[in-house]
Amino acid sequence: MSINALPIAIEIKDLKKHFKEIKAVDGISLKIKKGELFSILGPNGAGKTTLVRMLTTVLTPTVGDANINGYSILTGKKDIVKKIGVCPQEITIYDVLRAEENVEFVAAMHGIPRREAKEKAIKLLEEFGIAGRKDWSKNFSGGMKRRLNLAMSLIFEPEILFLDEPTAGLDPQARRLVWDFIRDLKSRDITIILMTHDMVEADSLSDRVAIIDNGKIIAMGTPTELKEKYGSDNVLEVSFIEKNDLEVVKSNIKNLPFVANSSEIHRKDRDTLLISFQGGLKNLVKLLQQGLIENIDEVENMKFRQNSLEDVFLNLTGRRLRD
Amino acid sequence: MSILDNKILQISVKNVKEKLRHWQFLFFSLGLPIMFTLMFYFILGTEEDPSGRTGFDYGFSGMVIYAVGIGTMNAAIMFAGEKGSGMLTRLDTMPTGRKNIFLGTLISETFFLMLQIIIMFIIGYGFLGLYFVNPLVLFIAFLVTILFGISSVGMGIMIASVSKNVEIANAFSLMVYMILIFISGSLMPFESVIVYFTPPYWAKQLYLQLTVMGDGFNDNLYSSSLIGAGAKAIPITLLGGLLIIVAYTVIFVILGILLFQKKTKF
Repeated sequence: MSINALPIAIEIKDLKKHFKEIKAVDGISLKIKKGELFSILGPNGAGKTTLVRMLTTVLTPTVGDANINGYSILTGKKDIVKKIGVCPQEITIYDVLRAEENVEFVAAMHGIPRREAKEKAIKLLEEFGIAGRKDWSKNFSGGMKRRLNLAMSLIFEPEILFLDEPTAGLDPQARRLVWDFIRDLKSRDITIILMTHDMVEADSLSDRVAIIDNGKIIAMGTPTELKEKYGSDNVLEVSFIEKNDLEVVKSNIKNLPFVANSSEIHRKDRDTLLISFQGGLKNLVKLLQQGLIENIDEVENMKFRQNSLEDVFLNLTGRRLRD
Repeated sequence: MSILDNKILQISVKNVKEKLRHWQFLFFSLGLPIMFTLMFYFILGTEEDPSGRTGFDYGFSGMVIYAVGIGTMNAAIMFAGEKGSGMLTRLDTMPTGRKNIFLGTLISETFFLMLQIIIMFIIGYGFLGLYFVNPLVLFIAFLVTILFGISSVGMGIMIASVSKNVEIANAFSLMVYMILIFISGSLMPFESVIVYFTPPYWAKQLYLQLTVMGDGFNDNLYSSSLIGAGAKAIPITLLGGLLIIVAYTVIFVILGILLFQKKTKF
C-alpha cells in the first residue's frame, strides 16, 4: 500500500509555542500517515524538541492543536500517552537501576503485568545487545545507555514513536545498529517521528522529511523530492587558502548554465565554496576547466559528491545544519 | 492484575531501590543519626538526675527528630533529580499521572522514615536502655515522628520546586534543615519565641513529654528548654501541639505539590 493511501496518524494544525518574545514553534501544520517514518530535520534551536514536547502533551501550545490517533493534544492527554513512546534526546534512565529494572519500570507505568514485562524486557534488551547485564546502568558505556534509553520507549509496543536525536553521541557501529532497529520498527507498522539534525540519518531512513528553521517548516517532501527541488545532482566542495580566490572562482562560474548555485562556508581555518551543478562528470570537467583551473594552486582541498539534504538546507537558509 | 502491579507501589519500590543503592543517602539517613546517637549517649548518658534519668533520656527525642528531619533533604534531592534529569518529563509522556508519582514518593519516604525510626528505637531503647514510660506512648511518639517526617518531605518538595538542579536543592535543603533544627531547640535548648514557628519544636516536645515525662494529651507543653531551669509551661496542650503538627504536615505537603506542579507544568 502506498503511503498516500494510509490513514492519518498525526494531524498538526497551526501549532505555535511562544516563550515570551521567542517563537520556538511558529505555525506548523502537517499530516503524518500511519506507519510512516517522518523526519523533522533542523539545526539545534530550530524548534524540533518544542514541537515534540507539544505533540507528546508535555507542553501546552500557545495556539493551535494537533490530533494524535484522533485525540487532541489539548483534551486527550490521557488517551494519547497510552499510545505513544518517547525516546528523549537526553539519556533519561535511572542510574542505580539495572537495564531490566529500568525497562520493567516503564512497562509497569503502562500497566503491563510484571511477569509479562520481565519476559518482554529480556527479549527487547537481547535485541539491543544489552541483555544479561547485572550491573547498574550508570556503569554502561554512552552507547549502551542510549540503546537502553530507546528500549525504554519500546517495551509497551507503542503505535506512535517519537525519537529525538536517537543516535546522538553514538559511534558508527552503534548508530548502524539503531538505524537497523528503526527500520525494523517501521516494518512493524509503527508510525515514527524522527527528530534529527543528521541529514544522512534523515535521508536513509525517512519516507518524508520536513525541514524546520526558526520554528517554521521551510520545506517538506520525500528526501528525493527535496533534493530535486532544492538542489542539483552533484556538489563540488572546494576549500581555498585565501578568501579572495573563492570570490574569483565564484565570478568565473556565475554564468555557467549547468551551475545551479554556489554557497560559501566560512570556518576559522578555511573558506569553502559549495557548487551545486546539474549533470555528471562531463560538467564537472567543464567546471574545473572554466572555473577553477587558473586558481588551482590556491585550492587546498576538493571534494566531489552527490547532493544531500544538508545542501537542501544550505540552499534554503544559506546556513549549514550544524552552524 | 496483582496488587504488585499497581503503579503507585511500583514507583515506591523503584524509589526504595534507588535509596538503598546510594551510599551517600544511606550514610546521611541512617549512618549519621546513629553516629550522633552514640556520640550524644557517651556525652550525656552517664550522669543521672534525682529521678534516675540521664540527659540523654531527654535528648534522644531531639535526636529522633533530627534524623527524621533529613527527609527534607532526601525529598528535595529526589524531586530535583527527577526534574533535572528529564525523567519527570519522560514520566509525563507515559500514563503514569502526577498523582501516582506523589503518592508513590510519599509511600517510599514514609517507609524509609519508619525504617529510620525503628533502627533508632532499637539502638536507643534496645541497646542503650533509654527510658520510656510505656510501649503505648512509644507507639504514639512513633506516629508523631512519622507525621513530622511527612511534613519534612513536603518542605523538601517545596525546595525542589524552586531549585534549578540537584546541587542547589541539596545545598538549600541542608541550610533550611540545619537552621530549623537549631532554632527549634531540638538538638540543644534554644530560649526564644522563634521555636514556636518551627515544626521540629512541636514534634520534639510532644515526643519528649509523652515518652519521658509521662504527660497525657491534656497536659500543657513546655518551652524548649525543658531540661533547663527556665522551662515553663505554655498555654497549649499536647493535643494542641499534635494538631499543629498535623496542620504543618497538611500545609507543607499540599503547598509542596502545588508549587512543584506550578513549576514543572508548562
